[in-house]
Amino acid sequence: MTQRYRIRWTKVGRTRFVSARDLTSVWERALRRADLPIAYSEGFTPHAKVSFPDALPVSVSSTGEYAELTFAAPIVPERDLARLSAALPEGMDVLTYLVVPDGAPKLARMLRATLWELVWPPADAAALTELLRRRGDALLRADHAEVIRHRPDGDRTVDVRPAVLDLATSLRRAPDGADARTVLRAVLRNDGPTVRPTDLFAALSHDDIAAPPTTCRVAQGEHVPEGLREALSGEVAPLVPDVDAEAA
Amino acid sequence: MLGTAPPPSVTPLLAPAERLAVRRPGAAATTPPSYWGALEPLLPQVRKPAQYVGGEHNQVVTPWQAAATRWLLCYPDTYEVGQPNQGIQILYEVLNERATALAERAYAPWVDLEALQREHDIPTFSLETHRPLWAFDVFAVSLPHELGHTNLLNLLDLGRVPHRAADRGALDPIVLVGGHAAYNPEPLAPFVDAAVMGDGEEVVLAIDDVVRRWKHDHLEAHADGTDAASPGPEARHVLLRRLADVEGVYVPAFYAPRYHDDGRLKRTVPVEPGVPALVPKRTVQDLEAWPYPRKQLVPMTETVHERFSVEIFRGCTRGCRFCQAGMITRPVRERRPETVQRLVEEGVRDTGFEEVGLLSLSSADHSAIGPIARDLADTYEGTTTSLSLPSTRVDAFNVTLSNELARNGRRTGLTFAPEAGSERMRAVINKMVSEDDLLRTAEIAFSEGWRHIKLYFMVGLPTETDEDVLAIAELGIETYLLARRHGRANKVTISVGGFVPKPHTPFQWAAQDPPEEIRRKLSLIRHAIKDHSGLKLRTNDPEEGVIEGLLARGDRRVAAAVERAWQLGARFDGWHEMPTLATWRQALEETGVDLAWFSYRERDQREALPWDHLDAGLDKDWLWEDWQDAQGDQQLDDCRWSACYDCGVCPGLSIEHDTGYTGGYRLPVLPQGLGGSDALPVTPERYAAGG
Repeated sequence: MTQRYRIRWTKVGRTRFVSARDLTSVWERALRRADLPIAYSEGFTPHAKVSFPDALPVSVSSTGEYAELTFAAPIVPERDLARLSAALPEGMDVLTYLVVPDGAPKLARMLRATLWELVWPPADAAALTELLRRRGDALLRADHAEVIRHRPDGDRTVDVRPAVLDLATSLRRAPDGADARTVLRAVLRNDGPTVRPTDLFAALSHDDIAAPPTTCRVAQGEHVPEGLREALSGEVAPLVPDVDAEAA
Repeated sequence: MLGTAPPPSVTPLLAPAERLAVRRPGAAATTPPSYWGALEPLLPQVRKPAQYVGGEHNQVVTPWQAAATRWLLCYPDTYEVGQPNQGIQILYEVLNERATALAERAYAPWVDLEALQREHDIPTFSLETHRPLWAFDVFAVSLPHELGHTNLLNLLDLGRVPHRAADRGALDPIVLVGGHAAYNPEPLAPFVDAAVMGDGEEVVLAIDDVVRRWKHDHLEAHADGTDAASPGPEARHVLLRRLADVEGVYVPAFYAPRYHDDGRLKRTVPVEPGVPALVPKRTVQDLEAWPYPRKQLVPMTETVHERFSVEIFRGCTRGCRFCQAGMITRPVRERRPETVQRLVEEGVRDTGFEEVGLLSLSSADHSAIGPIARDLADTYEGTTTSLSLPSTRVDAFNVTLSNELARNGRRTGLTFAPEAGSERMRAVINKMVSEDDLLRTAEIAFSEGWRHIKLYFMVGLPTETDEDVLAIAELGIETYLLARRHGRANKVTISVGGFVPKPHTPFQWAAQDPPEEIRRKLSLIRHAIKDHSGLKLRTNDPEEGVIEGLLARGDRRVAAAVERAWQLGARFDGWHEMPTLATWRQALEETGVDLAWFSYRERDQREALPWDHLDAGLDKDWLWEDWQDAQGDQQLDDCRWSACYDCGVCPGLSIEHDTGYTGGYRLPVLPQGLGGSDALPVTPERYAAGG
C-alpha cells in the first residue's frame, strides 16, 4: 500500500546554494533521519522515491519548491511531514501537502506558471521603481523581447516575451520602517521554452540597472489576473505584494 | 548603475585593543564580525558555493562569549576533500563537548573564491559563523599528507595572520599542525608554532587547558574594570613554553638544526632551556574511552566519501616497509565489536547516511571482524544501508567478508593491494602475499559473482629491476585471463602509483625514483599489456610524487622553497587542475634547494635525519635493521600473532597491543566454509563474554 504526497517546500537562506544535483541525497538523508517509510526504487542501487519537478538555479531562493514523495506505508501527514521539515537543513521547510489520488494529473501540469520576485537594495529605490515600471510596461506592449544568454558553450538568443504572462514593479517599505526597496514580480510560463528570471532581467536592464542581489521563486501554479493561484493550496499570491499582509 | 548595493561594511577590527577584546575569554569578549553578509553576495559567482555556507546537520554553533577558548580546525584542501576527514570530525566533537571550548571548521577556498576574498577583503573564515581566522585562539591544521603545505601558508595570509611564526604577536592565534605529515614538520618549521604527532584526542584537551590558563593570566580583563594592556611578545613566549611542556607537543622555534660543512644534517638540538631533546608521539591506549564520531557532520554538497565512518581499530603491524601509516600508528588498538555495532546503529540513525565504512589500515585484521561483519549484515539485511570495508589484504577471507557485507546484493568491485608484482619485490616490501594467494583469491571472487577486481601496485620501490616492474603486467594479465574464464564481462584494473619514501619507515633511507624513471617503468607496463585491451591500467602523473617526496623528507632549509612556491602562486599542489610543478621548480632554483640531493639520493646509516628528534616510538636501529632485511629479501611476521621483534614502540611508550589475538587466537583466514556461515562467526575469547 503506497501513498503519494505532493508537497510545497522552501529553499532559502544558506540552502539556496545547494545545487539541484545534491538535493536528492540531502532529502534522502533527511527522510531517513525522520524515520519515514519512504518507498525505494527496485534494482541494485535503490533510490528513495522523491522527485522534483524542475531544477532551481543555484543561488536563487524559493518559497515555491515542490516535490512528490511516495511512501511504502501510510504516514500521519501533519505529524510526519513536520518531522521531515525539522530533519531537513535549516532553510528547507515543508509548507503544505496534498495527498495524490490515483489518476491525478502529473505534478508538472499543476505548475504551469511561476511567480518570480526580484528585489534590489534600497539605493535609488524611487528612481529605479519608476524606470522598471516604464520598461515593464513597454515589454508587455511589445511582441518580442530578445536577449542574449551567455553560456560556457556559446551565446544564445532567447525571446523573453512569450513567457511573460504579467509583471509589476512596486516599492516595498519594510515593516520596521527601514529604507524602501524596489520589488519586481513577474508571472512566467513554465510550459514552452525556458525563460529564467535572469533572462527577464536582461530584457529590462538595458545595461544601466545592477543585477538584483536576491531572486526568489515565490510560488508555482496557475496564472490569474491578480497574480498566481498556488498549485496545492489554491491561495492567490498577488502580483503586487500587500505590504501590510507580509509584515503580519 | 541604478540599484547597486553599497559594499557590505565589515570593520576589520585590527587595532590591538579591539583584537584583545575579541580574544578575551568568556562573557568579557567582543564577538568578532561575521563575514557572511560580505560573502553571501559573492557566492553566486563561484563554483560549488554550497561548500562555503556551513549549516550541515550536526554542526555545532557556540556563542563566542560562552567559550573561554576558541579553536578553528582546518583541513587545508577543499571542503569536498576535507569534510570527510575522520580526525577533524573526532576533535570537533571532543572539543565542542568541553563546556569551556568552542571549535569551528575551515577549509581552503578554491581559487575563484580566493580571488574574490582578496578583492573584497574577506579573510579566511569559519564555516559555522563565518568568523575570521585571526579571531581564534588556535588554528589547528590537519596535514594527512604533504600537499597541503602551500595552502596552509595561503590560509594564514588570507586570514590576516603573519605566515611566519616569528612575526606573530601575543594576539595572533597559535598555529598547530597534526596528522601524518606532522611527523616531519621541518619544511614547515618557520611557519607553525607547534606540531603534534600521534593521536589527537587527549592532547587537544591538554593543549586547551594550557591555552585557557594562559588566557586567564594574560588576556583576562582586570577585575576592577581597567583594561589589561595589550600583552607583548614575552606573553607569546610564555604560551609556547607552556605548550612545549605538554607531552607530545613540538615547538620548532625551540630547536635548531646543525649542519656539516658538506650540507648534511649533524643533528637538531634544543635551544630553549628545559625542552625535551626527543619529543614523543601521543598514543591513546584505550580506544573505548573515545567512542567517536557520535554526531558526524552530514554534508549538503558532494564530498569524496559520503558515509558514516567508524574506526574499528587503530594501528597496524603488518609491517609493510613502505607504509608510513603502519609504522607511526603502532601498536594495534581494537574497538570492541559491541561498541562498533552501537556506534554504527546510532550513527546511521542520527545522520541518515546510506553507507557505513568500517575504517582502519587493514580492516579485515580486526580479531573479531567475522562477528562484526555478521552482526552488521544481520542488522541491515533487506534495508538500503550498505556496508563497506576498505582492506588491503589479499586472501580468501577477504572475499568471504565482502560477500557478507554485500548481502544486500551488490557484488560489483573488489580491491586488493598486492603492491608489487614479483615475489621477490613483495619480500622486499614485506607484503606477505604469494602469487598463488592472489590468483586463488581472484578465482574465488569471480566464481562467487564478483565482476570487477582492482589491483593496486607501486613502482619505484627500492632494489626494483625492470623484471620486477614487468611482473606487475604479468600478474595483471593472469588475473585478467582468469576473470574472462568466469564471464566475458568481468573486468580487471591495475592501478600503479610511484613510490614516495616517507619518514619513520624502513625505507626512509631509500632513493626516490625521479619522475622520468617512473614514467619509463609505467610505459614498460603499458607496453606489456597492450595485447589485452580489456585489462585496464590506471596511473597517476609521475610528477605528482616530486613535491610530496621533497616535503616528506626535507629539512628546515626546504621551508624557504615552500614559502617561495606559495609566493609564486603554488596552491592545491595535489590537484591535476593546478599544475604547480613548474612554479616549484622556479622556487627551488631561486632558493637553492637541491631536489636531487633531498629526494633522489640514498642516505647512509650515519646520516642524521631531519626527524631524528621526533620520536614515533620506532627504534632507529630496528628501522635500519629492517631496511637491511628488505635489501636481503627477508620478510618479517606480524607481531600480533607472532613474537615481538623489538620495533621499540610498546616499551618505549609504555603501551601495548589491545586486540583479541592474545592467547593464541588466530584469524580464520582460510577457505573452509567459504561463503558459508562457519568461517565468520568465530569470536575471540576476549570478546566472547561480551564484557
